[in-house]
Amino acid sequence: MAIADVKEYTHLSTEEVEQLGRELDAIRTEIEESRGAADAAYINKMIRIQRGLAFAGRVALFASHKKPAWAAGTAMLGAAKILENMEIGHNVMHGQWDWMNDPEIHSSNWEWDTAQPAEQWKHSHNYVHHQFTNVLGHDNDIGYGILRMAREQKWHPVNLGQPVYNALLAGLFQWGVALHDLDLEAIRKGKKDPKEMKRQLKQIVKKGRNQILKDYIVYPALSGKNWKTTLTANATANVTRNLWSYMIIFCGHFPDGALHFTEEEIEDETRAEWYLRQMLGSANFEGSRLTHVMAGSLGYQIEHHVFPDLPSNRYPEIAVKVRALCEKYDIPYTTGPLYRQYGQTLRTIMKLSLPNAMTSDDSPEPPSPSIDRGRKTDAERPTRRQETGAYMRKAAS
Amino acid sequence: MSVTVLPFAWGAGGELVKARVTQCALSRICGMCSRPLGRPVAFVGTPLEVGRNAFHAPPLHAGCVTELRALPYADPTWEVVTTSGFEFVRPNREDADQQPTFEPNSLL
Repeated sequence: MAIADVKEYTHLSTEEVEQLGRELDAIRTEIEESRGAADAAYINKMIRIQRGLAFAGRVALFASHKKPAWAAGTAMLGAAKILENMEIGHNVMHGQWDWMNDPEIHSSNWEWDTAQPAEQWKHSHNYVHHQFTNVLGHDNDIGYGILRMAREQKWHPVNLGQPVYNALLAGLFQWGVALHDLDLEAIRKGKKDPKEMKRQLKQIVKKGRNQILKDYIVYPALSGKNWKTTLTANATANVTRNLWSYMIIFCGHFPDGALHFTEEEIEDETRAEWYLRQMLGSANFEGSRLTHVMAGSLGYQIEHHVFPDLPSNRYPEIAVKVRALCEKYDIPYTTGPLYRQYGQTLRTIMKLSLPNAMTSDDSPEPPSPSIDRGRKTDAERPTRRQETGAYMRKAAS
Repeated sequence: MSVTVLPFAWGAGGELVKARVTQCALSRICGMCSRPLGRPVAFVGTPLEVGRNAFHAPPLHAGCVTELRALPYADPTWEVVTTSGFEFVRPNREDADQQPTFEPNSLL
């Protein structure tokens, strides 16, 4: 689906798209102008809770040979890791809290409790994923380079193994993310700058080694004779965080209704068109306040993609307004219960392991009849790329 | 801090490269050396840009400002402001200026 198709799909004139953009700008301005002490208190509270959970979890695991202590310690440590990665680390690194002028809570120096170095995350996620959201050939989050997630992607017999690759990716998610910015597709095609690859690998090895050292050597050693049960607790906490963050991230762009785009359509798009692409390429899910916090506020994926650098605690109020705008302009606002969103994602992974001819398309019907605006047809457009992952980090060297 | 021969976000003729400006904004890297930004973040701009608090040039390390100003195409009227955070503003269709801008939000 190209953005030009989306414009037909959404039946909006150029002026209507620009008006939608102006209304989203007004929401942004309102949040920026009201940002203050209450927001700062929120992130400080999250950090206090996270550190408290991590400390209590580590202390409980000193007695990890007793089953209740193992269970409580593992649960607290897993929750602390989830909170740190999702609601704190991910959002701090977007610069959501830079305005506070706090030397610690700042995008430039936050290093998170996961294997991927923060610098590489800020490139692969903040830039590549957020700038080229769901654009085939650019956004490596479309299947993380190993899964076929869009019907536009060419099928290959290797895709038959998708259910297995998916399970492996979910369980080992922090290590999959750690390798994400290397861009395996570019390496396979020999397009990766070897100097840059070496620099990135060095960073990954250093960060990964520290993570392994912390969770699998130092803390178990501190437990003395209970080292083995502390080690299993730490591993369980890490796997829990992996499974949860994998599920949340996959629910952001792959439920039915979240659209994919092609690369030639993103050149020279206006701010309003960029907003529209973000809204149509993302999907929310419903849940309690606690669920949203533990999901890093990514249950508001649409709002996060429209305003990635506004404080995450404001997404619930932004969501009410964004949803109203979607209703006003009759454009889709993809949302549903978490189980349904993940169920649809899983079904897509399974179906796309097979050739298109063997499966049906699950895209929902457009909310309004499409209008012919005289745009080029697929046949008239330049040949599109059919694969993902060829984006290379182009740092000066 | 390593500094490149050519500034990351500028072309050979001294013009800003839009895609790299966006990359600097989102990846939070320095427009001069392309390495992760520190705190504070520095911006260079003409008195007009400083007055309207909207800068075309991407964020920089404070130390990289000197290197940038030494380049032949550096504007002699450039002033430096430092901030903890900034907003990245993409142009609207009706804007006469079609370059994205940066608005420091916590001046130091």
